[in-house]
Amino acid sequence: MTTGPDDLHALLGAYVLGGLSDDDHRAFSEHLRSCRQCQTDMGQVSGLPRLLDLAGPEGGPHLTEAPVAVPAPLLTDHDDERVTTLLAEVGRRRRRRRTWLSVVAAAAAVLIFAGGAWLGPLLLTPATPTLPTTHVAAAAVAGSQVRIDIALVTRGWGTQLDIDCEDMPTDGELALWVIDRGGKATTAASWRATTTGYSRVTGATALRPNEIQALEVRTGTGRVLAAART
Amino acid sequence: MPLDDEAVAEIYREHGPMLRRVVWRATSDANRVEDIVQEVILRVWKQAPEADNLRAYLITTARHLIVDQHRAAGRRPQQAQLVDVAETDSALDRALDQVLVEEALGRLQSNHREIVRYLYYERLTVAETSVRVGVPEGTVKSRAYYAVRNLRDILDEMGVTR
Repeated sequence: MTTGPDDLHALLGAYVLGGLSDDDHRAFSEHLRSCRQCQTDMGQVSGLPRLLDLAGPEGGPHLTEAPVAVPAPLLTDHDDERVTTLLAEVGRRRRRRRTWLSVVAAAAAVLIFAGGAWLGPLLLTPATPTLPTTHVAAAAVAGSQVRIDIALVTRGWGTQLDIDCEDMPTDGELALWVIDRGGKATTAASWRATTTGYSRVTGATALRPNEIQALEVRTGTGRVLAAART
Repeated sequence: MPLDDEAVAEIYREHGPMLRRVVWRATSDANRVEDIVQEVILRVWKQAPEADNLRAYLITTARHLIVDQHRAAGRRPQQAQLVDVAETDSALDRALDQVLVEEALGRLQSNHREIVRYLYYERLTVAETSVRVGVPEGTVKSRAYYAVRNLRDILDEMGVTR
């Protein structure tokens, strides 16, 4: 079968894979000499035969009807179990990182304190860190096992609230409420519970840290899980 | 900032089966497969790469882990001393590319895959393939065209660039 000029581009595939009639092969070879587009395409796909050869003379398991000899445990669907294992490991490494960070933070605090005691009398204005941060550990209320650490970071616009929680409920919605000195409560963050009970979210409030009287983490139904007074 | 749990689980669910197949076929060691796959995902979690092509990133990470473990095994005194690391690396690279090519063929649309099978592996002509598949020769040609283009795209996406 011969091919008209409009179909010549399409011959690229069979030209690369093989199987064109002599006429078509000749027609495409000539076309290739003058067609920029086909030259570019050819540059991209001319390496395919060498790659296809890697899959063996029959093209590997997807091309032959023979079943793939993969051990049964790899094929059966244990995804949920595997995801749980994986997330447990993520949690373990995350805690390791955090422990390390808090050790460094503690060491830094000691240094600042020691330095301050020594240099204090010499300095009229102590240097202030660029982002003053207060850490608050919210105490779990009775009947709740949650562990929550909230960092209050002073920003030009108010307070950034970095919330780190563990052993939280595994479903439903959660929210961080800030309560100002006047007793008015507003939501500063809301998020969905995760299956591992761990989440790390960031909230924001226009209040300055010294205007915040208390912080509460509540469920979507309003139950208070943990509370902290600043 | 590492990824959150949901993102990690999603990556694992989406790419885990492919990674397990690739790692198993490259190492033939069922005991190590899950360890390597989980380590790959853990690295992605830790590094939270802004990769346009996550699949290629995962496969490249798996490749590095397999090569590293392979080298570590080669250094153990009880094993053969005269292992040429460069040679075994390139053999391993070939093995991985083989697995990836097979994987790519598996991801090809089935009517494109059968065209690759008949034209390339079985060395049939376009005319013979047309009879075998039961479609006109023009269809065989256009399917061959799209098969080749798609296969290239799939391989690129997997990070097989040669």
